Amino acid sequence: MVKFILRRIMMMIPQLFVLSVLIFLLAKAMPGDALTGQLANNPKMDAQTLAEMREKLGLNDPLYVQYTRWIKNLLHGDLGLSYVHQQPVTDLLAGRMWNTILLSLCILVLTYAIAVPLGVISGRWQDSWADKLIVGYSYVSFATPLFIFALIMLFLFGFKLGWFPTGGSVDIQLEEGTFDYYISKLNHLLLPSLSGALISTVGIIQYLRSEIIDTKVKDFVRTARAKGVPEAKIYSRHILRNSFLPIAAFLGYEITGLIGGSVFLESIFSYPGIGQLFLQSIMQRDYSVVTALVMISGLATLIGTLLSDIILSVVDPRIRID
Amino acid sequence: MTFLRVNQLKVHYPVRGGFFRKVIGHVKAVDGISFELKKGETYGLVGESGCGKTTTGRTIIGLVKATAGEILFDGKDLTKLSRREFVQYRKDIQMIFQDPYSSLNPRKRVLDIVAEPLRNFEKLSPQEEKRKVQGLIEKVGLHSDSVYKYPHEFSGGQRQRIGIARALTLNPKLIIADEPVSALDVSVQAQVLNFMKDIQKEFQLTYLFISHDLGIIRHMCDRIGIMYRGQFVEEGTKDEIFHDPKHIYTKRLLASIPNADPLRRQEQQKLRQQIEKDYEQLYSRYFDAEGRVYPLKRISETHSVAIP
Amino acid sequence: MKKTEYSPFSVLWREVVKDKLALSSLLLLSLILFIVYGASIVLDQEEIVKVDLLSIYSPPSAEHWLGTDYGGRDILGQLIIGARNSFTIGLAITLLTGLIGLTIGLIAGYFGGVIDNIIMRIIDFILILPFLMLVIVFVAIVPKYNVFTFILIMSAFLWTGKARLIRAKVLAERELDYVSASKTLGTPDWKIIVREILPNLSSIIIVNLTLNLAGNIGIESGLSYLGFGLPESTPSLGTLVSYATNPDVLQNKWWVWLPASVLILVMMLCINFIGQALKRAADARQRLG
Repeated sequence: MVKFILRRIMMMIPQLFVLSVLIFLLAKAMPGDALTGQLANNPKMDAQTLAEMREKLGLNDPLYVQYTRWIKNLLHGDLGLSYVHQQPVTDLLAGRMWNTILLSLCILVLTYAIAVPLGVISGRWQDSWADKLIVGYSYVSFATPLFIFALIMLFLFGFKLGWFPTGGSVDIQLEEGTFDYYISKLNHLLLPSLSGALISTVGIIQYLRSEIIDTKVKDFVRTARAKGVPEAKIYSRHILRNSFLPIAAFLGYEITGLIGGSVFLESIFSYPGIGQLFLQSIMQRDYSVVTALVMISGLATLIGTLLSDIILSVVDPRIRID
Repeated sequence: MTFLRVNQLKVHYPVRGGFFRKVIGHVKAVDGISFELKKGETYGLVGESGCGKTTTGRTIIGLVKATAGEILFDGKDLTKLSRREFVQYRKDIQMIFQDPYSSLNPRKRVLDIVAEPLRNFEKLSPQEEKRKVQGLIEKVGLHSDSVYKYPHEFSGGQRQRIGIARALTLNPKLIIADEPVSALDVSVQAQVLNFMKDIQKEFQLTYLFISHDLGIIRHMCDRIGIMYRGQFVEEGTKDEIFHDPKHIYTKRLLASIPNADPLRRQEQQKLRQQIEKDYEQLYSRYFDAEGRVYPLKRISETHSVAIP
Repeated sequence: MKKTEYSPFSVLWREVVKDKLALSSLLLLSLILFIVYGASIVLDQEEIVKVDLLSIYSPPSAEHWLGTDYGGRDILGQLIIGARNSFTIGLAITLLTGLIGLTIGLIAGYFGGVIDNIIMRIIDFILILPFLMLVIVFVAIVPKYNVFTFILIMSAFLWTGKARLIRAKVLAERELDYVSASKTLGTPDWKIIVREILPNLSSIIIVNLTLNLAGNIGIESGLSYLGFGLPESTPSLGTLVSYATNPDVLQNKWWVWLPASVLILVMMLCINFIGQALKRAADARQRLG
């Protein structure tokens, strides 16, 4: 077991390295460098000083020297300076990161809260009208693109019915720390996360459904039934126990989807998170922010996959054999 | 007279383990076997499953790479040939596979299946090709219209005949038959086996017949090699093996053949018990400390046994 | 036991026709595509994109069936051109990724060993990349950005899933004796891959490509919605939807963005229903063996 985890982590190291090289090269390929932004704010700077500053910042060094420096800074938590906002990228990210994590957590909780009961109902009462309804819903939700669904949700529940706020992460008049503040925050989260959750349930529903359908005819379930174990207990003790851990393990794989989803959701609901920041930065050509965000997202997916792989290998020892 | 000669053939697979997936040992599927095939005979390779008999066959035909040793065919060592050079010998060595269901591509018509080797080696016009395939298909006892059908339209026995027709297409000299009837119903087995005997005469074929079924081996083979854990235990003519087995493993194997005569059941039972007792008592005389057999020792012109 | 026809296409086709939902999806999709491609030949794109300041944001009327946008341009015309572009480009990406994924999957699966190992490491790596962000970055920094580069950028990321699927299937397939038989008959490797193994994968490939087509249209229109999809010269359905970023349009001028959204939704649903039916057909066939 320990061996598997160690090997899995070892496998991550080259991936991390290639990821960082890729992003570094992308950053280099982006037009402009650390001085372009300053030049815009300080037009008096002449070519002579500019060249000197370039030299001082090491922008004329060979690529690998620059890369090593970049990595060193990265490891110290220095993500560079935003040209547009003229402040360290880390400061810029701090608040928004929380918003995005909050949104992602909400989506995950809602996804599981919706998908697990539906999957269980659908598997337990296979071919009932409820099952058909759920399967139909899962097909439709699988086919629906997030941005269209979110727009329609915003249009219907935000604008037409006015049930939810239509943008932002909190009512700006409210003071931080008060009870109303948190309620407002939650209220702002609800519609975006519901939009995200309702169409990402399909994987869990289908997995649970087929697992239950497969398991409920297995011998150990028959034995339990023959012993007179009540049906509800058969499900909670025998059938679901086997299915829940893998489902929990899927969490890590969801991270890629969540990052992509946050870009759409935050843009549609004008929710101030890193997805929105990413789009703004790329439009304002604020590339150091872009680079940092891609690196963080890549890292998050890497760790997510690692966690999922490890959890799954605990559940299913066959995976450990490479 | 020697047609094919296998010399100290070894096929080992590395076993990897540990943190860096280093090679920590070997599975010795075939571990130093030698035998000869004479032209026109049927040589049987017998043993329990996993003893390396199939691997031996697959190595001779080039599907598996030999780790060491020689396979001399017409004086040429097949293990030393590159893939391209090997192609010339393809025509002379062909194979009949165990499973007639997976050995025929379900997406191809019988015509395309049987014509595949022709298209690789001979440039024939479509008419010539069709005529040749139809001839072969009739030879194996199927109707010539069958060439337009797909494999799933045939029964297992018929499929195996198609597989045989395919193997015959290039007029091979040696056919390796790897459990050719074990996937078939018992009622069809005899049919296919007798048919194989017929074509052996007609095409002057040499068979390397691989099977775990001693009844079939007795029916088919002139000479027999018994394999155990990648090595030869005993080799001899059919009579020598069946009537004068020397190694305890061979004796045990022979005793396991079921007897159809109910009146002799008692006798058979006693014989088995006797051999089982011998096996336990004399184990150390026939197997070394690692449970492997000893090198073969010649006891007559044709008979060899692995005893110290 | 006896079936007269055994080609995978006919089996899949029969299954789709039997499935009422899939059949109606197929008919609806054909109708949409027929109208879209038919009309886009007749329509004059220059005429549609011409700004008409006198009829800005006019609601649906006899003259403009679906109203106009902020530049007074006809929505219906844009809808048709957009649908054509979205579908064509979705299809192009699907076919290109199909080709790349198939080639790489076949090679990795058939030859195995070191080649397979290297390819799998590359695929593992691409799969952990934040796909959406990287595509946006590429779109933003690629110098000569046009439809062709967009297709290339998308395909560079999207071939991996297919390659993995095909590889897994080939790994199973190459253990079957018909492949060994072909080897002993002297058939060269490339011929075994193309003529023997490939036909046995056709139903899986068809299913996968169909489901991917829907997904790719979704991704393309999504990126266009964000402003990082098709270049402005090639309007997409996503471009029309993106007008809804303006809250006034979203709230009060539904005719600008809703038809395009519904059209994307309908197309994706249709393709998915067809794909699901094909998937069931392919599975059932495998169970029959």
